[in-house]
Parts: sequence; structure tokens; C-alpha cells
Amino acid sequence: MKLKRFSSALTAAAVALALAIPAGAVEKKDDKFWMVIGGRQPVSHIDPGQSYDYAIRMMTQALYDGLVKYTGNPPTVEPWLATSWETSDDGLTWTFNLADGATFHNGDPVTAEAVVYSYRRTLEMNEGVAWMLSDVVKPENITAVDDTTVQFVLDRPYAPFLSFLPWWFVVNPAQVEANVVDGDFGKAWLAENDAGSGPYMLERFDQGTSYWLKRNADYWKGFPYENDDMGGIIYRLIRESSSQRAALMSAEADLVTDLTPEEIETVGNRPDIEITSTPALTAFGLKMNTQGEHMSDINLRKAVAYAFDYDTFVQVYNGNAKLQTSAFADAVQGKVDVEMPRQDIEKAKEYLAQSKYPDGGITLEYVYVQGLEQQRQMGLSLLNSLKELNIGLEMVPLTWPNMVARAADVEQSPDLMAIFATPVSTDPDAVAIQYHPSSHGKYYSSHYLDDAELNAMIEKARSLSEWDERAPIYADIQKRIVELQPEIFGMMRQRMFAYRDYVQGYSDSPIRMTSEVDLYPIYIQPK
Amino acid sequence: MLKLIAKRMGLMVVMLLGLAVITFTVANIAPGDPARLAAGPDANQEMVEQIRVERGFDRPLPVRFVLYIEQLLNGDFGTSVYTGRPVAKDIAQFLPATVELVLFSISIAILLGVPLGVIAAVRQNRPIDHAIRLLSVSGVALPMFWLGLMLQWYLALNLDLFPLGGRLGIFSDVPEPITGMISLDAVLRGQFAVVGEALWHMILPATALSLPALAAIIRVNRAEMLEVLGRDYVTNARAQGIGPWRIIAVYSLKNAILPTLAMIGLRFGWMLGGTVLVEGVFDFPGLGLYAAKAAISSDFEPIMAVTLTLGAAFMLINLVIDLLYAVLDPRVRNQI
Repeated sequence: MKLKRFSSALTAAAVALALAIPAGAVEKKDDKFWMVIGGRQPVSHIDPGQSYDYAIRMMTQALYDGLVKYTGNPPTVEPWLATSWETSDDGLTWTFNLADGATFHNGDPVTAEAVVYSYRRTLEMNEGVAWMLSDVVKPENITAVDDTTVQFVLDRPYAPFLSFLPWWFVVNPAQVEANVVDGDFGKAWLAENDAGSGPYMLERFDQGTSYWLKRNADYWKGFPYENDDMGGIIYRLIRESSSQRAALMSAEADLVTDLTPEEIETVGNRPDIEITSTPALTAFGLKMNTQGEHMSDINLRKAVAYAFDYDTFVQVYNGNAKLQTSAFADAVQGKVDVEMPRQDIEKAKEYLAQSKYPDGGITLEYVYVQGLEQQRQMGLSLLNSLKELNIGLEMVPLTWPNMVARAADVEQSPDLMAIFATPVSTDPDAVAIQYHPSSHGKYYSSHYLDDAELNAMIEKARSLSEWDERAPIYADIQKRIVELQPEIFGMMRQRMFAYRDYVQGYSDSPIRMTSEVDLYPIYIQPK
Repeated sequence: MLKLIAKRMGLMVVMLLGLAVITFTVANIAPGDPARLAAGPDANQEMVEQIRVERGFDRPLPVRFVLYIEQLLNGDFGTSVYTGRPVAKDIAQFLPATVELVLFSISIAILLGVPLGVIAAVRQNRPIDHAIRLLSVSGVALPMFWLGLMLQWYLALNLDLFPLGGRLGIFSDVPEPITGMISLDAVLRGQFAVVGEALWHMILPATALSLPALAAIIRVNRAEMLEVLGRDYVTNARAQGIGPWRIIAVYSLKNAILPTLAMIGLRFGWMLGGTVLVEGVFDFPGLGLYAAKAAISSDFEPIMAVTLTLGAAFMLINLVIDLLYAVLDPRVRNQI
């Protein structure tokens, strides 16, 4: 009897416990849904004028508005704060007309003055996105014609101009000026406070733990969904991908950003989790130092490129990648298909015979990111292929900062370096310029390519404003880059995210950085 | 006693200075270019140079060292080159979390380790001794992060008994900070539900973190107890008919505990510096994660600040242990 009572009590307790655990249900806080996004990278600051990475971009894109915004695939520049714009015939004067009724979170109107202030602030600070425009427009040549009209007068015609503007966000001058300390442009304050007009407002900035964005229900542009139950979004740091997976499965996180291809497959098999896999603008390649001891020999570069087994690139991502068919990624404007080297050992041997090292007998250095298993596997595959040419491969894993430091110096830049590069604009100049000497010193230019013919084409193409004139030059540029073989052209990896099935409205654009999500259109709608 | 403390404090300043020199040198000769990293991937040379000059990275090392020490003496840890946040603010935020976790872990290790060590010694070579040995050997052998992952996977995800990570539930009310240690703050603020929740969140990370210390304490304490139990005075006490538990707890343990105490001090210091793996698995926002992030991104000022803070903590702990020695051992007491 006693035992029976005990066991029935136990059963009751178990049932109560099971009911108490919200198995995969969404929770409401103050009667609103708060979406939890599990991400790996802390948000260093939320000042749109300072440095950027994917976490910062994700926050600033939600807190602030730009004159224009990138959306869709292929990415297009969509009117945002600016409803329309005109360009003068000489391509120098750009005039933007602002939307009516746009307001900052504190109620102040978004005026032409605020736009001018924000652009000048960034240019004068000379940080973050400043490089995009700093040698094209002087701060004093950005002016407010009237309350709703902004004018930019460029120093020279610059075709990619518009394609950079989505990354320039507008801050409220009144709020920033009130918080300037010792002429710091309000940097300290803006690092952890918002002065924006965007769809979300900063609720809590808990460094190292979580960052809370409250939905701005009165957003001047409205939302693409009807549902008014969205309270906000919490970007929560979950640093291990296994913990991210666990959090997603237990619904502690509603969307996670950094699962490995294997984990994506595992969670994707669950009925209550959805996964996305969409193209990115990111291109991956093994950059070769064209001014280095070995790789300055173009025949050696060709030999290595023909020896490599290109299937490896796709295999290491379980098929979620696509080989490059040009030096430009698919989503880049003006991309054309170019005949690319594919594995052909005979051809590789022919090239090697013409090089300084006809019998091989050298050892090349391959540098990759420590801990990135896919890059290690690529190295092993290369090592295997190079054996056919009697060339050795030393595999050197480094931390990212050390790789950046080595790429910054032509003397230290290794023979081969595994590099992901994401251009910030879809304009072909953003990729072409990576192969121009003005990029030397940046990590994606560890190839130190310097070819007079190519340089002249790149310089000409960026100064023209008519697309019809530019397009054929970019086709030639792509051919020339492939011809010069400054890298083993690699693949375009898919952007992959996993989320619970009640997360709606997710939309991707290849222009977004590796793990960046556009927070504006997403919301929660329980089934 | 006061003289000893003063002397040790003086020594500590010298040792910290030495630590500063070493860390400063290592942090600066290691490859990596913080100015370029902070400027961002696409920054032009001019932007990189601007940061280099602003942060003084362009000056000769000895000058920078003197300037840094000067800054330290003014009580300023500097700012992070990435976030622009004052490093002191970061330390004040992340250190209490780590201290809280380590205190909780070391308490588990002591409260379990000392009795288990005693039991293993008293029941030498019996089944219970073997069982305890299994525990202590696995404590030394199991990698901490692996154990953490397994605990998380099985107890948190599969059985849903514990939270996956963090210090509190995402929607819980964090008590207004006093010490920065959530469980203590919650007690002080009278938010008793939060106390339980904070402790609940610490159980898995603390289990993973405490196991190596627990193993070490068991083994040292068992060995010492065995030695003490074999001494003549213990045999004499037995002959006088003193109860077995009194012999163990009062006569033997008091002598056997001294080496264990030294071990606890060491382990405590190691734990403070070694939480990073557990913090990573359980997303426990502590000093370990902060230090790891700073180290891999060559963020010089946080690296210095964390090293000096942990160094000072280690030295203070050792001082406390030495003083406890004096309290427990009259021979030591008479020497000072």
C-alpha cells in the first residue's frame, strides 16, 4: 500500500515536471515574443561609425537606417531613408531625396542635416566604413540642400559609389553631440547606446552575454508582417557550435548562426527545425604570393593549380559549396564564366617542366586558420596532389591575427594561404580591387599581384559611370586574373542557418557577412 | 604575523613587476598586428597608421613599458583596442563571475574530497577505496571540456535536468550588482529564487571544473591520512581506548590536512586561470573567455590586465594559505 502510494506520487510528480518543461514551445515575455538568436561573436560595439564585423553589422543594421539598403538575391540597392536619387551627367553630383516622416527613436525627425552629420562624422573619424568613400568625397562636399535633400559632390566619377551607401548609417546628431567627451565624436557613448531610427531599439547591452533589441512598433517604415506580437530580439552568445545545436534543439535559441555542415544536417532532420542554405558573395581561395621566392614563377603557380583536386572544396562542405567559375563570385555584377584550371596532372607536369623547378624538389608553405577542419583537409588534399610533382607541402596552422600580420608583409606572406574574402558591395570593382596594388597589405591580397595590364583595366573601369562601357572591361579583367593565377581559385560556400519552425520571414541576401542575419523581416508566429 | 604580511606584500609588488615585464615582452614580440585587426579587414594603410599612432604602438618598446607602468600606477588598465571599453570595467564585470564559479567548484572539491580521502585511507584496499580511486583517477584523466560537453549533452539536453549554460535564465531578473557574484548578490538583495537558479546554473560547469581538484585532494589527503594513521601516537591513542572517529577526525585529520591545504591553494589558483574551457562550453561569461578572446586577437591591454589580476590573486591565495598554516601548525606559528 505504502509502496503504491509512493509510486503514484512519483508518477504525478513526473507528469507535473513534464508539463512544466516547455518542450520546444516559444515563450512570451510581457505578453510579447522575444526571439533568441544564438551567435558566436561578441558585439564589440554598436557605433555605425567605428569598425565592423558580422555581429556589429547585424546590430547596426537593425538599430539604424541608411539612405539605401541591400536586399534579395541577387542583392539590389533598395530605397530606404532616401526615396529617390539623381546623378548629374558628369557622374559627380548625387542628390538624394529623403522619406517623409522618418523619425529617430527619441522622436526627432531624420533630416538632411542628420545625414550630412553622420557621413561627415565617419569620414572625419576615418574608421570603419570610411575607406569606402574617403578618397572619393571630401566631408565639406556633402551638404544639405534643404530639410529633405542631401547632395554629394564627388572628387571624380566613381561608379561603385551607390553600392557602398547601404553600409553608411544615419545617427541623431542631437543625441551624439550631447554625449561627446573630449572631442571623441561620441564614440564612447555610441559604443553602447543607440541614436538611430531603425526598426529595433537597444534595450540592454550586456557585454559578453547577450544584447537585447526591442522592436520599434512605431517604426516609420512599418514592418513586412502584420503580426504585432513581436517584442524583440535577443542576440545571445553561445560560443561552441555543439552548444548552439543543443540550444536550438531545446528551443533555448530560436535561430543559430554557426553550425558545422554535419550539425546542420542533423538538426535539419527534425520536423520542428528548418534550415536554409543560400549562396554567398564570399569566395574562398588559396592565395599564392606572386612576389615570393617560389610562387613568383607563373609556371609553378599554374602547375600547382592544375595539380589540385577541386572536388575537395565541395566535399569538405558536404556539397554545400560551389566551385568558382571565374575570379568573381556568382552574385557579383558583371560576372562571366571563365575557363578555370581543373585537376590535370599531365598539364601540371608540363607547366612544372617550364618552371624554375622542373623536377620539383621544393617544399611550399600552406598557412590556414588554426582549428578550421575544412581548411586542414584542403591542405591534406593539396599535399597529396603535390606529391605527383615531387613538391612537398608544409602545413602551418596559425591564429587569424597572425595570418593577418603575415599577409601584411610581402616578405612574410606565405606561398599559399587559405582565405575567405567577402566584398562589401556587389559592384565588380569591390572584387577587382583585391587584385590591384592598392590592396597590398590587406589579408585578401596576400598574393601581392601587380600586373600593369590588369591595373590599367581596373583603374579605367572604376572611373567610368556607364555600365555598358564597364561590363566588357570587367569580362577582360576576370580573364586576366585567372590567366595570372594568383591563387587556386576555390569555391563559394553557402550561407547556412537553422531555426525553429515558428520563425517566419527569414530572408537572405548574398551580400551579408558570414553569419549576419537581417533582423528586420523576421518574426515569430507559432503554428 | 603583521610583519610577515607586510614582507609578503612587498615581495608581491616585486613579483608583479616581474610578471608585468614578462607578459609585456611576450605580448609584444608575439606576431600579430592589433592596429590592423582593429581597423578592420578593408581599412586602408592610413587608417591602420592612425590607430597605431593613437595607441602608441609606433613607439619603442621600453618607452611603451614605462608609459604602461605609469598608467597602471594611476590605477588605469587602459582600454581595449576593439571595443574601446575601459579594461577595468571589463575585469569588474567578468572577474566576479569566474570567482563565483571557482569558489563554488572548490567548495565542492573540498567538501567531497576531504571526507572521501579519509574514507579511502581508513578503508584502505577495501571495495570503497577502489571505488574512490576510480573517481580520482578519472578526475585526473578526463579532459575538462569533454566532461563538460558530456554533462551538458546528457544531463541538460537529454534529461533536461539542468540548464545548458549561462549564469541565469535569459528572462530572469538579474539582481542589482553589489559584488557581481549573482548568487551572493541575490542573497544580499533577498531574491532567494534567484539564488537557487544561479546555483542551479553553476552545478554542471562546477562539476566539470572541480573534478581535477577533487581528484588531487582525495589522493593527497588519502596518502597523508595513511601516513598519519600509522604513527605511534595514533596507535597510543587507540590503546588508550579513544573512539575511532575521534582519532580520525581530531587526532589524525588535523595533521594530515596541512599538505592538502597547500594543494587546495594551488588548485584554487589554477582554477582561476583555467576556467576558459568550461566557460566556453557553458557560456559562462567569465574572465577566462575574456582573456582567451584578448589573447587570440592580440588585444594587448586586456592581456596585461588579466595576467596581472590573476597573478595577484594567485599570490594572495598563497599568502592566505600560509597564514592558515600558521593557525593550524604551532611549529610554523612559532617561527614567525
